[in-house]
Amino acid sequence: MTYHQHDLSYDWLGIHLENPFILSAAPPTDELDMARDGLAAGWAGVVLKTTSVEGNPVRLKYPMMSSFGTASHKICGLGNIDLISQYHINDVCDRVAALKREFPSKMIAASIMGSRKEDWQSLVWQLRRAGADLIECSFSCPQGSMGEAPGRMLAQSVEATEKVARWVKEAAENTPVLIKITPQVTDIVEVARVLKRAGVDGVTASNSVPALMGVDIETLEPRPSIFGAGAYSGMTGMAIKPLTLRTIAEIARNVDIIISGNGGAYSWGDVVELMAVGASNVQFCTLPMHYGFGVIRDLTSGLAGYLDRKGFAGPMDIVGKALSRIKGQEELVAPHSRATIDLDTCVGCGNCFRACRDGAHRAIDWDSEKRQPSVDRDKCVGCAQCMQVCPVSAISIREEFGDNVHTFAYGIPGEHGR
Amino acid sequence: MDEFEKTLTGQQAAIEAERCLYCHEAPCQNACPAHVPIPEFILSIRTGNLHGARVLLQSAHPLIETCGRICPEEGFCQSVCTRAKIDKPVCIRELHRFVTDATDPADGLVLPPAVSGTVAVVGGGPAGLACMRELRCLGFTCDLFEQRSVGGVPGQEVSQMRYPRTAEERETRHLTSLFASHVYAERVTDIASLRGRYDAVFVATGLALEVELRIDGTELAGVWHARDLLRKMKSGSLSGTGRRVGVIGGGNVAVEIASMLREEDQTRDVIIVYRRGIKELRAFRKEIDEATALGVTYQFLAVPDRIVGEGCVHGLEVTQARLCEEDESGRCRFEPLPGSHFTIPLDTVVIAVGQRADDGVFPGLGRRSGGFIDVGEDMQTNIAGIFAGGDAVHGAQTVVEAVADGKKAAEFIAAYVAGGRR
Repeated sequence: MTYHQHDLSYDWLGIHLENPFILSAAPPTDELDMARDGLAAGWAGVVLKTTSVEGNPVRLKYPMMSSFGTASHKICGLGNIDLISQYHINDVCDRVAALKREFPSKMIAASIMGSRKEDWQSLVWQLRRAGADLIECSFSCPQGSMGEAPGRMLAQSVEATEKVARWVKEAAENTPVLIKITPQVTDIVEVARVLKRAGVDGVTASNSVPALMGVDIETLEPRPSIFGAGAYSGMTGMAIKPLTLRTIAEIARNVDIIISGNGGAYSWGDVVELMAVGASNVQFCTLPMHYGFGVIRDLTSGLAGYLDRKGFAGPMDIVGKALSRIKGQEELVAPHSRATIDLDTCVGCGNCFRACRDGAHRAIDWDSEKRQPSVDRDKCVGCAQCMQVCPVSAISIREEFGDNVHTFAYGIPGEHGR
Repeated sequence: MDEFEKTLTGQQAAIEAERCLYCHEAPCQNACPAHVPIPEFILSIRTGNLHGARVLLQSAHPLIETCGRICPEEGFCQSVCTRAKIDKPVCIRELHRFVTDATDPADGLVLPPAVSGTVAVVGGGPAGLACMRELRCLGFTCDLFEQRSVGGVPGQEVSQMRYPRTAEERETRHLTSLFASHVYAERVTDIASLRGRYDAVFVATGLALEVELRIDGTELAGVWHARDLLRKMKSGSLSGTGRRVGVIGGGNVAVEIASMLREEDQTRDVIIVYRRGIKELRAFRKEIDEATALGVTYQFLAVPDRIVGEGCVHGLEVTQARLCEEDESGRCRFEPLPGSHFTIPLDTVVIAVGQRADDGVFPGLGRRSGGFIDVGEDMQTNIAGIFAGGDAVHGAQTVVEAVADGKKAAEFIAAYVAGGRR
């Protein structure tokens, strides 16, 4: 049985992508078998886990993973104290060659990290010789940084970033180079500007976010704890998607540079969001680490259906579509908006009433008998806090001009208004 | 004996707790006769604050071990759960039970000095215990009079499968050790003299007598009254009943005893004989489902005419009935069909057609028709300072309703004593 599915393929940096979904430089691409399984499942490409030159020992500490969330959503954010791959450049080059032979139409990329110019350039030359389609440079691993100073990421120094990017691009010549940056900087635009100036092909925005995943309140040990002590993690997963969106949008609004999106995408709808603010493909790690490579089926069919429904010719049509609508708060008009509650949908839980009473403008009245909220239109300013707490999306925010009604927002965040 | 229902694990409880919408003026809480602050205790489960959850439950409800297991939640809190409008109700009773199983009742309890007055509580069932606890928390000294075992109906009538003795003992030990000054295991006959020795008296003696089934043959060997048999089985003895048992009745006691007899011997036939149809059964749906799962069978639309036998039971002669219009309770009436009688071969008959108040005790107490104690709006009887509540006043109720009655009585008693009308 066959169903029509919208073609998701496009060319990107001269590389053919069958869809915009890439496995990022992370545990899912740290073994040849795993990378092979991911590609066979339908992912458009892999970035093999970051490697370095011989002589940089990688001492991993386990347990390295931790997460925060609730009982029914355990992974809101996923943390790791992982380092780069324990496989060195020779192994990675062998894998690039093997994967390229086996999957000639997929994007086979590798990620590198070095310190001295010779290291960076030698890593690049070896990967080019092995046939890598693209080279990604990690300027932003939160742990075991080989940047300028211990505990500091390379991409946190614009001078160092520009200098190293030039070394890499010089060695890479025509092979595309992406620099993977951190959102943990004062001015992300400045970082993107110097990378543009250095001549690299694009940025991967962005890496995991430095975080302390938690403290065990019984033992007062950090999470994860190894014999009572712990370290800061790099956090990924759903919790960081809004940070990634802002990072990508800021770069795209200010610098003309290719962006590979990374950080927090958990569904095809998230991919649309990342692309709408400027990413031209999206890398994944936490999602396959949670549910496995098979999620690619939903990612592709979900995105294909979206393109059909919206009349877009291909994924690239989405890129940057939301950007012109992102403005400074002071530039926005000031509407006379009001909340409207659809009583047919309302289940009468009273969360909107309580949230408005204790956290907003005391503009919702509550009928205890009927268990019904009602909006006091004189007091309501349309702040939308009630809409956030409504468990059944019964509340919309509208402005009415006579018979014309403008609805400002709808749906539960994350539901993509479906 | 294995309990029907296992307590939730911490993980299950945490996930279930997240389904709660934390409603404003929560309907579940209003539907609970004891007004347990349900959304708040569920929030405390969510945050891992089980002691806080216990304090909330315990403050509202003296018999939380009992109700966590046997409360017919589908008739109260869960029947109005807002979550049902999205998918299905939150499993409130199971969350309640999780808290009681995971925490200690006496942990951190602080009682005021007992200087407010003295009250005699007659009857150690749910209503009496609830009243006693409320009064002790208001600073009263309470003596409890219970001629049988403290705990009342749940301990005596609910099977160990649903309410194991360990849970019952934990509950009653906790209540008597913390809230009773003395427990007198004696039968009170002279209520007026008791009144003279205390500032007030609360009578909650329940329904002491069996409703008699006025048919021939009840004197035969092999005929039991349900509560006698329940008491025997709850005390650990074998029932000693036969291979084919007919249980006459359609309430919780009938269904409970049928389940217990089946559980005791899986090869025994146990037939519930009921005058009306399946929809008219008064027992809680959950108990009926459990009985059915155990293999209890039913003879509906059968009106007992007489128990047949010579010396011992040989069978139950019944007349077939048909259902008619609904009565005021919404259940269909029945009408015997003349000439349609037949005999169900049985060697044991258990009569479980209900209980009634013993109107022969406490002469001088005013009574209503049916033998129930007559009380005013303030739950006071015709004798000043003697209050009454629970099944002895209202007829058979659930545990949580009896608890609510006991709590309410405590308030009236405290007001009465404070008013100085001794």
